[in-house]
Amino acid sequence: MGRQQIILAFIAAVALSGCVQTRQYADLEFSPPQGDYDLVVMRPNVQVGIVTTGGLVEPRADWTEQARAHLLEALRQQQAGRGGRTMILETREGVNGMPAETVADLERLFAAVGSSIVLHRYMGANLPTKRRRGIDWTLGEDAVAFGRATGMDYALFLHAEDSFASTGRTAIQALGIAGCLIGFCAPQGGGGQGAYASLVDLRTGEVVWFNLLQTSSLLPGVRFGDIRTREGAAEMVERLIGRMRAGRLVREQQRQ
Amino acid sequence: MTHEPTRRAILAGLGCACCAGIVPAAARVRPADMQPLVGPGYRPSEEDELGMWQQYERFEQEVAGSNLLIRDPALVAYLAGLVERVGGPAAGDLRIYLARVPEFNAFMAPTGFMVVFSGLLTRMRDEAQLAGVLAHEAGHFLRRHHARRWRDLKRRTDFFTILAMGAGLGGGVAGTYLGDWVRLAGMGTMLTLAAYSRELEAEADAMGVRLIAESGYDPAAMPAVWRQLIGELDASAAMRRRRRRDQSLLATHPAPESRMRDLGLSAEEVRATGRHYDRGRERYLAAIAAHRPLLLDDQVKLNDPGASLYIVHNLAEDGWNGLLRYYEGEAWRLRGRPGDGDHAARSYAMAVAYPDAPAEAWRAHGYGLLRAGRREEGRAALGRYLAAAPDAPDAAMVRYSLQQ
Repeated sequence: MGRQQIILAFIAAVALSGCVQTRQYADLEFSPPQGDYDLVVMRPNVQVGIVTTGGLVEPRADWTEQARAHLLEALRQQQAGRGGRTMILETREGVNGMPAETVADLERLFAAVGSSIVLHRYMGANLPTKRRRGIDWTLGEDAVAFGRATGMDYALFLHAEDSFASTGRTAIQALGIAGCLIGFCAPQGGGGQGAYASLVDLRTGEVVWFNLLQTSSLLPGVRFGDIRTREGAAEMVERLIGRMRAGRLVREQQRQ
Repeated sequence: MTHEPTRRAILAGLGCACCAGIVPAAARVRPADMQPLVGPGYRPSEEDELGMWQQYERFEQEVAGSNLLIRDPALVAYLAGLVERVGGPAAGDLRIYLARVPEFNAFMAPTGFMVVFSGLLTRMRDEAQLAGVLAHEAGHFLRRHHARRWRDLKRRTDFFTILAMGAGLGGGVAGTYLGDWVRLAGMGTMLTLAAYSRELEAEADAMGVRLIAESGYDPAAMPAVWRQLIGELDASAAMRRRRRRDQSLLATHPAPESRMRDLGLSAEEVRATGRHYDRGRERYLAAIAAHRPLLLDDQVKLNDPGASLYIVHNLAEDGWNGLLRYYEGEAWRLRGRPGDGDHAARSYAMAVAYPDAPAEAWRAHGYGLLRAGRREEGRAALGRYLAAAPDAPDAAMVRYSLQQ
């Protein structure tokens, strides 16, 4: 293979390395909510920023506000399509007279359980006891009590990040790729998305579904959606939550 | 021809980077140069700061709802009053949260909320010392340190990235490898970032000492806090039979010794002749009185007997009492090496001689006496414990041992 070909192959590899990835896990007996149900979105966290020339992400307040509004609207519509009513919890004080402390406790509990899911499902620290068991975690009685007190059927925990390369960063990215032609290949990361969503069944307390989404590209100017726009936000909601799959046992049953 | 740096060149380069990094941090910041950069009701207007504020506003929600907070309204109001007194032009904008974390630390957010660890209240001897720490934190806000540090970080990482890319491309064209030089520049960047952070800490110290002097607190309280911390770190290391770790070039804060020295000089600079300065010891002790047992209890359970004993002895410079003697005993007992039991027993015996001895001191003293074979005295002491704390969780157990 001549030098030219190596370079071409490399550019192709770089181009391919930009991608959209999602990995979802579900409780074995999970069926996506359908019909008449109430969903509460627990203080959704959205962060949008700009990538500096040096590769730092600087949060941007205006972009974050735009993205947040579009994401929540897209989520509401997407859930309505399944028949669900969505309530967005903006502050801990917002749930039907429930003490903020109780909401905070549930959030902290999820933060602990969620980190455990990420560690043992996504980071490779697999547990033999959880093999082939989908999502096998629960928030327990506290979540059931929360559901009973609020009349909600599901709680959704949502975190979404997006970032955009500044002009300087785009130039660095372009130089990194252009360098391949003179034997200095140093492709640099630019903007990208990262998000997770997790569904808790408040009737059983179990975490029934978890999804992680990542988009990134090493090519300057290449993006996979922009959550500051209505379309981009709808696209992320579709990738993250819209393609929610049932658990393995349910799917096997459906096949038979 | 190679362009690989020799080891000597690398060392020389590092030397330069170190000098460049350390010299500005080592120079004392003069309190007279520390003008507040924000006025009352400050709100950000620039993009980067707006983004930062938005993130910290959410963070404040987390802090405000944290289950680590000590929420006693009287104590929190006392702290808020102190912050208001030493907060300079931002006095009306600062919020304070007290977290139950037994460490010497506090934290200032760019939006104006401050988190103070309970370990500070454990160590401070008077209101002036605590005011000094709060004023240091307020100094970070008044001098806009978050924004300035972020901008410094952006500038330096931008510069380094352009440099690295240029070196790579230039090297590619010339057919040489400059990677080692780029790594060296990377190290230099890290060192200068740390140096800038130390410079800002020195600014906050200078601003703080000025603020407390202006609000009538003895400015010498600030160097005293650092003298205490140095004593504590040394005592902790000595009991572990280790040496205290030296300051690293990558440290974000100046070494305690240099902070103490600079604050000492600054305190003299800001002291106005003829003015009366307050230490506020009685006010401080009254404000934390109800919490002191918990503060000391958290400290002795850290398994750091050197530090715990130092803290107790340092507080006792203002006079011993039953509580301090009891926790001196606890520090010995929890270390649990041969002979420590005797140390503890002596402390408990002294503790119960004070009218303010906590009930637990009578229990500890009583069991100590029983162990020493002084049955009747031991039983009497346990009786004092039960009388003082009839509903204690272990009262039934103590009653049982009295029946034996």
